Amino acid sequence: MTTDQTTAALTAEAIEDALLAFLAERIKTEVAADQDLFKSGLVSSMFAMQLVVHLEETYDIAIIGPDLKLDNFRTVKAMTSLVHRVRDADDA
Amino acid sequence: MPEWLASETALVGELVGGQAAAWDVAGELPVELLRKLGAQGVLCAEVPAAYGGLNATSHDNGEFTAYVGSLCSSLRSIMTSQGIAAYAIQRLGDREQRKRYLADLTGGQLAAVGFSEPAAGSDLAAMQTQIRAEGDSFVIDGQKKWVTGARYADLLLVLGLFGEGAAFAVVPTTTPGVQVELVPSPLGCRAAGHSNIRFDNVRIPASSVLGGGGQSLSLLFTTALSYGRMSIGWGCVGIVRACLNAATNHARNRSQSGKPLAEHQLIERHLAELLVAEQVSTRICQHASQCWESVSPDMVVAAVLAKHVSAGHAARSAATAVQVLASAGSQDGHVVARAYRDAKMMEIIEGSNEICQLILAQHALSTIPDNA
Repeated sequence: MTTDQTTAALTAEAIEDALLAFLAERIKTEVAADQDLFKSGLVSSMFAMQLVVHLEETYDIAIIGPDLKLDNFRTVKAMTSLVHRVRDADDA
Repeated sequence: MPEWLASETALVGELVGGQAAAWDVAGELPVELLRKLGAQGVLCAEVPAAYGGLNATSHDNGEFTAYVGSLCSSLRSIMTSQGIAAYAIQRLGDREQRKRYLADLTGGQLAAVGFSEPAAGSDLAAMQTQIRAEGDSFVIDGQKKWVTGARYADLLLVLGLFGEGAAFAVVPTTTPGVQVELVPSPLGCRAAGHSNIRFDNVRIPASSVLGGGGQSLSLLFTTALSYGRMSIGWGCVGIVRACLNAATNHARNRSQSGKPLAEHQLIERHLAELLVAEQVSTRICQHASQCWESVSPDMVVAAVLAKHVSAGHAARSAATAVQVLASAGSQDGHVVARAYRDAKMMEIIEGSNEICQLILAQHALSTIPDNA
């Protein structure tokens, strides 16, 4: 992952694409943006923690407190909206 | 040893002196020594300076942890607990909680962290401790088992079910309804103050639930345990180093059949194996610390690897060292006798060998490409 994704123009599409690429690389499987990663057995809670670390590092955010729910990491779409929400809250 | 932790290292060396054997035999650490170390910030050295901590890197704290582990695994276990508590608070607490509790943990207060329960060891789903809202406050009911350091702790970090999810609550040990009962005669880390704790209608203010609660149980568990695994991995490096040192010195100075043990080839093989163990466990912990410092997504699995590999080497190295020292190392309190008992427990806590293997197997299955 490169740091140029942390620049201002961070569209949902850009985050989704980057996440799909990250997942494809890590779990060696193409997934859809709305696919339930846990239900499909592709991802364990151990991997969810890796996703937390990845999102924090890539998007310069801190995922803490009630945001640390598995539901926020269930799909690529859920992670994308989490990143947006936390970044917006940080900017506020 | 990292230069800037030199004074902390010297402090611990001086305070521990030659007392680790006596602490092991007595089954107790002097609590005033723990408070003194706590007030210097050395029990959780990675706490950022902004919160009163020493701001140590994972590598520096790792080498420091190994040093303490080479002296006394009971004391190192206290560091592991304090460090897990500090990391969980830093990671999961809100701004106020971080400020308040991290000041406590670097100011001489001691913390212990309760995960296991009578029916829930590796099986998280069986956890029964409940943290529930009642009016403006929260109420905790449940039991925790084998809580390292609870005997000495001022603050207990308790993992429990919370609504649909889970939460960590910070509970002063003196809160009404908290009952701490020392585990008598544990196999290893005998002075680490392992205790069973009962929470009976324990009322705490809402401000003591980290981050408001409601996080995923498995994520809370993995977060806290990841720090613990790093700490135990490095602590095991210390055990291996103590064994290598004791066995090498004994082999050099003890003669049998007219020559030093070190000139008997079967003993030499033991020394070679100890050296390999020291190098391998050091390198794998360094790798994990590197992942930790660069905030790599691999840090979670790297911590499991470091803990698993180092604990295995510590257990085997301790057995080897006792074999080399024979009767000279076979008395309770002796550094290799302690290592033998302490290291075995390191293969059990913070993810047993078997649980670590399950995690690593899953990692292999999810990362190795399917060639079919």
